[in-house]
Amino acid sequence: MTDEIRQFVLDSLVEMNYSIDDIDDDTALGPAGADLESLALAELAVRVEDKYGVKFNDDEAEQLAAMTVGEFCAAVAARIEPASAGL
Amino acid sequence: MPASVAVTGIGVVTSVGNSAAGVFDAMIEGRSGISRPAEDHPVAGSIEVAAFSPPIDPVSLLPAPETRVIDRYIVMALHAAGDALAEAGIEVGRDVDPYRIAVIVSGTGGLATLENQVVIRTQKGRLGVSPYLLPGMLPNMGAARVAIKYGIQGYSSSIGTACAAGAQSIGEAVRLLRANEADVVVAGCSEAPLFPTLAETFGNARTLARGWAEPSEASRPFDKRRNGLVLGEGAGVFVLERAEFAQARRAKRYADLVGWGATNDAHHPTTPRPDGSATGKCMQLALADAGITTDDIGYVNAHATSTKLGDIAESQAIRRVFGESTPPVSSTKGVTGHMLGASGVIEAAVSIYALRRGLLPPTHNLDDPDPECAVEHVGKGGQPTSTGFVLSNSFGFGGHNVTLVFGQPGSEYQRHV
Repeated sequence: MTDEIRQFVLDSLVEMNYSIDDIDDDTALGPAGADLESLALAELAVRVEDKYGVKFNDDEAEQLAAMTVGEFCAAVAARIEPASAGL
Repeated sequence: MPASVAVTGIGVVTSVGNSAAGVFDAMIEGRSGISRPAEDHPVAGSIEVAAFSPPIDPVSLLPAPETRVIDRYIVMALHAAGDALAEAGIEVGRDVDPYRIAVIVSGTGGLATLENQVVIRTQKGRLGVSPYLLPGMLPNMGAARVAIKYGIQGYSSSIGTACAAGAQSIGEAVRLLRANEADVVVAGCSEAPLFPTLAETFGNARTLARGWAEPSEASRPFDKRRNGLVLGEGAGVFVLERAEFAQARRAKRYADLVGWGATNDAHHPTTPRPDGSATGKCMQLALADAGITTDDIGYVNAHATSTKLGDIAESQAIRRVFGESTPPVSSTKGVTGHMLGASGVIEAAVSIYALRRGLLPPTHNLDDPDPECAVEHVGKGGQPTSTGFVLSNSFGFGGHNVTLVFGQPGSEYQRHV
């Protein structure tokens, strides 16, 4: 599942006009890595909500810049699985 | 006479090219920028003819991630501002203190981008709406993006007076410079009105030119056969400086802005006051501000949009101010269409070229002047002049009126035009 999410995130970054040439699981989403600014992080959160139905609350959204790509994908996967289990 | 203000840079984006000289030459040559929309343009099917400006790649002006939801008006504003600053030779921090340079870039805002997002929301719901919508369309974002790109940290604003906004931005710049609140002001307007909803409201209000087999004939200010305006895209930005500041840095001047005036018709949201009294007063205020008389003005660049009522009302106003023997008058909109607020800046640029080249440009398509527009029209092909002063009018929905008066540059440092 995480591989699929990772691919979705990378595809999203390309659609958002970000370069993914040097991005791996250890790359931070924010200024220290992929350099997504606040609105880009907000858009990424909207995209995963649209795709997977998972939400990040306001406090969590503020922490996204510090997350790595790997951590973000894992966080999305963790939110999908309990939801799926409940079905 | 109040202190003059120096015009040291001009940048434009229009359907007849991205230089002020190009717009002036188009008027002299009778080269229209008006065409039918391409089949794949969003406005196709919503408008018969329009004036489309050349494409500009937003990535050439902005970081790539910020270009996906960005209105064309912002992109054109950045392009025009960049050209104006380059021409003036101004680098913020090197040539002017960042807090002593101001930016006033106006416009209706990015309504095409809003329309597009409304459509997406209708189709996809909440999650389709971009977080980038507001920075991509707000009417202050032309000014803000110029400030961000060039590090301009002084006064900044955007003026919402519809089709008078560009000229009023220049007038507001004069006010700042005379008050010594800035050394330099980047002032202008950008408009991108070619999208379905706006085209259709203009059409339903019966203000658009219609039924012309040849698109280049559709915009014909003052002509008997005119039947409406032609919408156009465009941007115009001036760099204006305190005369002393420009002199000290030996900046080459296009011209000096010697006076301006502003009034409101207080009559109707869209229909001009028929007797032209408030627009006439606007011109008189500008002349008084410049400390000159009607005899000093050798050219009037009219707002004249090619609508039945507007062209008559402005003619009445010009006669009210100048008497039966008016200075030569022409309208730029025959070649550019009506670029809303941006028109005022581009027409001010044309007025400056007329002043500096000693040649008055004619109104394109003015084949048979409407007797109700009884002013002295510039003859076909243009006519020579030795005038020292020119006047440019801009009027907007809401009854906003602005007049700018330009004079020869009061300096040995002059830009060749």
